[in-house]
Amino acid sequence: MKRASPFPDVDPAGVPLLEVEGLSTRFRVPGGVVRAVEDVSFTLHAGRTLGIVGESGSGKTVLARSVMGLLPHNADRPGTIRYRGVDITGWSTRQLVGVRGPEMAMVFQDPMTSLNPYMRIGRQITESLRWHMGLTKAAAASRAVALLDEVGIPSARLRADSYPHQLSGGMRQRATIAIALACSPRLLFADEPTTALDVTVQAQILDLLAAEQREREMGMVLVSHDLGVVAGRSDDIVVMYAGRVVEHAPTRTLFAGLRMPYTQALLAAVPRLDRPSHSRAAVIPGRPPDPTAIDPACRFAPRCPYVQARCQAEEPPLVEAEPGHRYRCWYPVAGPLPRSAPAVSPARRG
Amino acid sequence: MAGIGTAHLRAPEDALLRVEHLVVDFPVGRTGLSVQAVADVSFDVLAGETLGLVGESGCGKSTTGRAVVQSPPPTSGRVLLDGVDLCELRGEELRARRPDLQLILQDPISSLNPRRRVREIVAQPLRTWHRGDARGRAATVRSLLEAVGLDPGTTIDRRPHELSGGQCQRVGIARALALEPRMLICDEPVSALDVSVQGQVLNLLEDLKARYGLTIVFIAHDLAVVKSISDRVAVMYLGKLCEVGPVDTVYASPAHPYTDALLQSVPVPDPTVPPRPAPLAGELPSPLAPPSGCRFRTRCPRAQARCESEEPVMRAMGDGHFAACHFPLVVLPPVAGL
Repeated sequence: MKRASPFPDVDPAGVPLLEVEGLSTRFRVPGGVVRAVEDVSFTLHAGRTLGIVGESGSGKTVLARSVMGLLPHNADRPGTIRYRGVDITGWSTRQLVGVRGPEMAMVFQDPMTSLNPYMRIGRQITESLRWHMGLTKAAAASRAVALLDEVGIPSARLRADSYPHQLSGGMRQRATIAIALACSPRLLFADEPTTALDVTVQAQILDLLAAEQREREMGMVLVSHDLGVVAGRSDDIVVMYAGRVVEHAPTRTLFAGLRMPYTQALLAAVPRLDRPSHSRAAVIPGRPPDPTAIDPACRFAPRCPYVQARCQAEEPPLVEAEPGHRYRCWYPVAGPLPRSAPAVSPARRG
Repeated sequence: MAGIGTAHLRAPEDALLRVEHLVVDFPVGRTGLSVQAVADVSFDVLAGETLGLVGESGCGKSTTGRAVVQSPPPTSGRVLLDGVDLCELRGEELRARRPDLQLILQDPISSLNPRRRVREIVAQPLRTWHRGDARGRAATVRSLLEAVGLDPGTTIDRRPHELSGGQCQRVGIARALALEPRMLICDEPVSALDVSVQGQVLNLLEDLKARYGLTIVFIAHDLAVVKSISDRVAVMYLGKLCEVGPVDTVYASPAHPYTDALLQSVPVPDPTVPPRPAPLAGELPSPLAPPSGCRFRTRCPRAQARCESEEPVMRAMGDGHFAACHFPLVVLPPVAGL
């Protein structure tokens, strides 16, 4: 039988799918406290996609895992998480197990490590179907084949009997998507779902996620380091740097009128097909700050080209300076750098 | 792809590196079968030129790079460095050529010995080749570290795990430069790095190329990265070369449908450009049983009967631009061999 849901059958109108308020995630480690995520807030409605971008170590994966309750024991997580209007912040692992699957699911970055190498693909899907949906063995097995078929795995019936190592990288990622979608979640976290894949397969997987989302009115949090992936696939974007949200806006607003120097630098650093060869890459000098340090300064100040005295003395708050557009900067910029970066050809063959 | 032929090669005396009919076979377990990872690939690189080698994982681009440095040597074919076929050389003769040809690998951390300090890592090639005395080597190491943008004072006594990925890649580059090579083979040198650091390493390679007069083969799957650094680009699919030409020309008007599909797949960081549906369905066929004729035909939107029966041969599509396709996307000039 199906497990009882702690959530109402029909959501009251206007209640967002997910509300995160003032969420921080800290890890107690021998050398001190790693502040992986600091004071993050966002809201996600059903059928919408929130993109989270940032470099490695910016806290984007930890943020997704914090909401799912997938954290190790040395983690502290102050803040509030409301899912479909219900505060799930203090829920135990046992309570959260009922939430994962039919409510929230996650697609992890590396399909080779997120799949169980000893278990056939079909069994990895039926596991959650039987547990959460209470399906019989036979019903779950046929649903698993249907799901594999839906995510574009050819000869799904045969593939359900394969082990992960017998599939290619793209097929494995499709299988992890099938697992995540098995219980028809209302909210999907996709953590770098295409980073391990080739560009042609990446396009297929992103199309697949978009189609599933449309069909199910599913909310999606798309975590990626690649602004190109997020630009065309999200409604809103959160840019993270050193555990903080530094800019948060509707995707089109952000790309048209970004305000945060870090976002500007990140966008300029992306190599683009429309630049001529031997264009000098725009770089962000230096490295992200030590995550254990507590500084009263703007975390991006040491690398910021526009830094001033105030940035080193006082951390700017995340303010909604324009409707729907928040950023964390004392001296905001006026938009992206001009597209035509100066092209230099230092080493044309002579 | 699926292309064979050598129409795209330039005069042998102009090329620093000339690879002809390169084939690399690997045995498959104990089956007695073998998989042809590289199947008759030819290309050349002029002195001072950067050749980008792109393709999806499993297309044979890394295997090609490794066959060029003879590790392992190819099954057949010729690798001419300055007119000397490296495949013919054995033992000490081949070893004597190795300083000219250095490899930079993808994973910057695992390609460095974790128990050595930076000074030992960068000095190792100099010690192996008995270059200079201890004092001279120490000075060389310092100047190499400075050349790759590392501060010798703070990094020389560190071990790889104490450095960031970008710094480790710089150490790897310093080590590759220690023997003053003529040519660098860079195998995905920036794909493990964050986008902000990627640019730093790409700019560094451009600077070093100008400073030391290097010739580079740059292997990568990221088309935008390849464009930013290359003069010419060669596109591989399933062990074959599809298209080769000046990078700006190939990207502006790809002749091979595979190159076109690759370029179409790259997401554009601009929300006003709606994402295009994936141009290619399916995945790379098994290299154990590659399709007959053109190897790309099973996924090609333009495939016709001829593609199944006849393997396309490299032919001119424009100035210095060649592709192996029966039905290319560019309008060919009436007289072949422009």
